[in-house]
Amino acid sequence: MRRLYLILSEGRLMARTEKVLNAKETVERFMKDGCFVAIGGMHMHNNTMALIREVIRQKVGIGRLITSPSGSVNADMLIGAGLVDELYCAYVGMEHLGLAPNFRKFAESGKLKVRECDEAFVTYTLRAGASSMPFIPLPRGLEATSVPSMNEDDYRWTSDPFGGEKVACLPALQPDVALVHCQKADEYGNAIFEGSKFNDFLMIKASDKVILQVEEVVPHEYMLENAMRVDVPAFLVDAVVNTPFGCHPTSSHRYYRYDEDHLKEYLKACKEDFDAYLEKYVRGPKDNEEYLEVIGGREKAKELMEGGVPW
Amino acid sequence: MVEVKTAELMASVLSKHLEDGEVAIMGAFSGIPMLASRLAQMTHAPNLSYITGGSGAVNPLLEPLPASSCDDRLLKAECVLPLSDVIDFEARTEIDIFFAGGLQIDERGNCNLIGIGRPGEIKFRGPGSVGLPFLSRARRFAVYAMNHSARTFVQKVDFVSGPGFVDGKDFPGGGPSLVVTPICVMDFDEERMRLKSVHPGVSVDDVVQNTGFELRTPDDVPQTGLPTEEELELMREIDPLGVARNSL
Repeated sequence: MRRLYLILSEGRLMARTEKVLNAKETVERFMKDGCFVAIGGMHMHNNTMALIREVIRQKVGIGRLITSPSGSVNADMLIGAGLVDELYCAYVGMEHLGLAPNFRKFAESGKLKVRECDEAFVTYTLRAGASSMPFIPLPRGLEATSVPSMNEDDYRWTSDPFGGEKVACLPALQPDVALVHCQKADEYGNAIFEGSKFNDFLMIKASDKVILQVEEVVPHEYMLENAMRVDVPAFLVDAVVNTPFGCHPTSSHRYYRYDEDHLKEYLKACKEDFDAYLEKYVRGPKDNEEYLEVIGGREKAKELMEGGVPW
Repeated sequence: MVEVKTAELMASVLSKHLEDGEVAIMGAFSGIPMLASRLAQMTHAPNLSYITGGSGAVNPLLEPLPASSCDDRLLKAECVLPLSDVIDFEARTEIDIFFAGGLQIDERGNCNLIGIGRPGEIKFRGPGSVGLPFLSRARRFAVYAMNHSARTFVQKVDFVSGPGFVDGKDFPGGGPSLVVTPICVMDFDEERMRLKSVHPGVSVDDVVQNTGFELRTPDDVPQTGLPTEEELELMREIDPLGVARNSL
């Protein structure tokens, strides 16, 4: 089967490009200082933490950050590392575990520019970005909040060319890079979400470059046999980063649970000595394999995979 | 008889507020609304559909109820949709009842998740408005509050994330219908919050003292009806780990 992709073209041997890279070379190659970054996952699930930790190791400045829409430790850690200039804020928090401490601190002190928005904003602006609409009008009612008046950069007004009524509009955003977690991908970038899809495919479609952090790289034949289940076509993907357990301390749907103890340790560290946390868990380990040793290795992984999913 | 936990009392009140055939939706940190919805399906509303927010799960078989609204345990469901499809239903006014909350909730049912302070001077930054602006397009919404104090229940919210009753409103939503807190239940009279019942062991004066605006208080305020033995048993089946039960 593989031979189909190894052909002679004008006398040269051509092979289909494999996109599997490690986190370090991926971040070096695709993320430039000041770039506009979209991060997938929702709450404490499917966060691309191995990539986020690598961004912090390389100190890549992020001009603008958008989450999909509910940001968690992914956004909070980047903000706490001092790397984020502006945030499209629909939600950044830790759900039942409380508020996001770094986000609160940086927003309250004015060190982080908050572009106030909501889940409709994130969904509609990416939908517009994904299909290159010039802008997108909002359903009536969404403007009846404090949000548009707090973000005049991103909420503008026009009149409905059909009915003449005043409507609120959003820009069509196209992030430079999307960091998204899929559980499975092949070496070319065809990928499958094994759990919730959230807004992640919309994010992939709207962004210029797409980096997938995956739990496992499966043979291309697997995708051919399961084409109806493939969510992301390879041509949209620029890099596949194979990092088992790379979402820790968040979950990877249907692979392992979030690590509530670690998230609580994170929250405590934010209040006490966040730099010590970064040193121990982010800058200390040189890659995700070393990180996994620091969090408790195989034993910890086993613990988070136990309990079983009820099906 | 087993002791009734406040969270179970709240879930049972919210459950009775859901009608057969309705579509309900909830967002982050929604243990109590999830418990209420599943309970309603198992008692009086077999045709209720409910969507657990970001997970995209429609009618998850909760048992055991998870703590996070996006947990993969919710995927044991009838259907799992991408979030952008859920957003379409919220926009299309296909949601009968939206569960809402806030850092601040005011007497007209406006909810605030943005923060405390003034524009440009936010002293306490909240997580953000997330799905609350869609309250403007739900047929009605119910507020569940994890605490009841004069700091939460204020005359006027500092910022509006989800609009309650608004003068001269220009959107299709029906506004707030019920507010359930750890000490009481409130509804609305002339678009202003009104005390409906007090939980066992709570006096009307306790509620008035802990509310930051002049709460409409009828002469006769009954005690909130307790869940039946059967309801309690069902709730313990749905939530064997006590995730919602012990969330207060």
